[in-house]
Amino acid sequence: MKLKGEMSMLNVLHVQELDLEKLCAELEQKRDEAPQFFMKSPIIVDCSDLGDAAEQLDFSLLRQKLLELGFIPVGIRNNPVEMNARLVDAGWAIMRESRASTATSTAASTETSESGVAAETNQQPQDTVSEEQVAPQAAAPVGIKSLTIDRPVRSGQQVYAADADMTVLAQTSAGSEIMADGSIHVYGPLRGRVLAGARGNEQARIFCSSLQAELIAIAGRYQLLDESDTELKGKPAMIRLDGEKLIIEPLAH
Amino acid sequence: MSKVIVVTSGKGGVGKTTSSAAFAAGLAAKGHKTAVIDFDVGLRNLDLIMGVERRVVYDFVNVINGEATLKQALIKDKRVDNLYILPASQTRDKDALSKEGVESVINELKKEFEFIVCDSPAGIEKGAFMALYFADEAIIVTNPEVSSVRDSDRILGILQSRSKAAEDGKTVKEHLLITRYSPDRVEGGDMLGMDDIVEILSVPLIGVIPESGSVLQASNSGNPVIMDKDSEAGQAYQDVVARFLGEEVPLRFIDVEPKKGFFQKLFG
Repeated sequence: MKLKGEMSMLNVLHVQELDLEKLCAELEQKRDEAPQFFMKSPIIVDCSDLGDAAEQLDFSLLRQKLLELGFIPVGIRNNPVEMNARLVDAGWAIMRESRASTATSTAASTETSESGVAAETNQQPQDTVSEEQVAPQAAAPVGIKSLTIDRPVRSGQQVYAADADMTVLAQTSAGSEIMADGSIHVYGPLRGRVLAGARGNEQARIFCSSLQAELIAIAGRYQLLDESDTELKGKPAMIRLDGEKLIIEPLAH
Repeated sequence: MSKVIVVTSGKGGVGKTTSSAAFAAGLAAKGHKTAVIDFDVGLRNLDLIMGVERRVVYDFVNVINGEATLKQALIKDKRVDNLYILPASQTRDKDALSKEGVESVINELKKEFEFIVCDSPAGIEKGAFMALYFADEAIIVTNPEVSSVRDSDRILGILQSRSKAAEDGKTVKEHLLITRYSPDRVEGGDMLGMDDIVEILSVPLIGVIPESGSVLQASNSGNPVIMDKDSEAGQAYQDVVARFLGEEVPLRFIDVEPKKGFFQKLFG
């Protein structure tokens, strides 16, 4: 067997208040926005916004509620140290503190030994749930799985192909978001956000028949299309990563 | 087999209620027994547009709460046979709509009506969600401007991911209805053109309703505009109903010069 320290994409729930009912209601709403994305997804709870007030929260109940909502609670972090024993009793794993406030998108990839801890690429304190993505030490293996979407991905929708490539046969709308751990192919107009290599696969690419995306990203390196001087807007294009730079190339000659 | 059709848009003020009233009245006038439900609890308007505001005794929420029977709450239209209106409650809010309650009302309506038209409130919150949840088909009302188109796109996403049909692995049939269309202003570049909207949303077009003073007049007098057979908007709504029922009807009122219609383009 092999036991290795690796980083994975995890959802982090930043708890900002003590009202569990309200928290769960908000989380449920969030989950329903992208049920496939969140269903049975691992989640860690971050208590940094609570500070010492975390003492007052019933963490066994929180764990139970998260399970009921279809998440798999894996750990807790930034809790008051005095609570550690109690949390372990309640079935939580204590995660080492992340460098949340200072992390940048590239800092994560230089980390070598932080096993199992999600370092953050960006923090959205206003959101209860933020998706954090991590560049692992070695490129994640690209699965042979593929997710095929044959209907338009509309504004506000999020589609994520875990461990897989994604093929979209229809359009993606402005305000939508498609993500894959592998490469992404879009045969309709690509108008929303598109993130390939979501867990750090730098070999992942984006292929599209009409490049009108708002934002393109591979392995955490992102670019707004409007800030790009490419002449391929609205045209067939391929996007790949060269070092730290996203290269947009024509797809058809 | 009865059909539930939601009239929705995301954005407010684009003509959902006007379209619901016209569409339901048009279906009924063609001999189909139709009920139209106002889901805009707290801001009820459908009764005004239909001219039945002074005949409301019980409402949708009363029926959900078991305070009245459906029969008591349904208002029969005096102009068109086969047309019934279920008004919203003005004194409650959207929380009064429960999924179970709405489902039981719709199921009861299905026993008697061929078409059930759900007039959705604006937004993507509870009221709008309830209006679309049980839909078999949807009419997406869009104005020729970018924010309306964006909001329609959003509601299409919700429709295909969170409706009952979607949960059951089916799709809701989509129809795009462009309202307040002004060919002059499209020509002048102030408004999005019909083709652009269809391209952005990629939903089949069921009709284009021209911007028309007769819509406002009809609303204020409580007559669904479809009954105004002389107005362009009224005729355009009749075309919508005909297309919905499977007829092939060319688009009208989409060009600047009224003489250069679809046929002239085609044959001239």
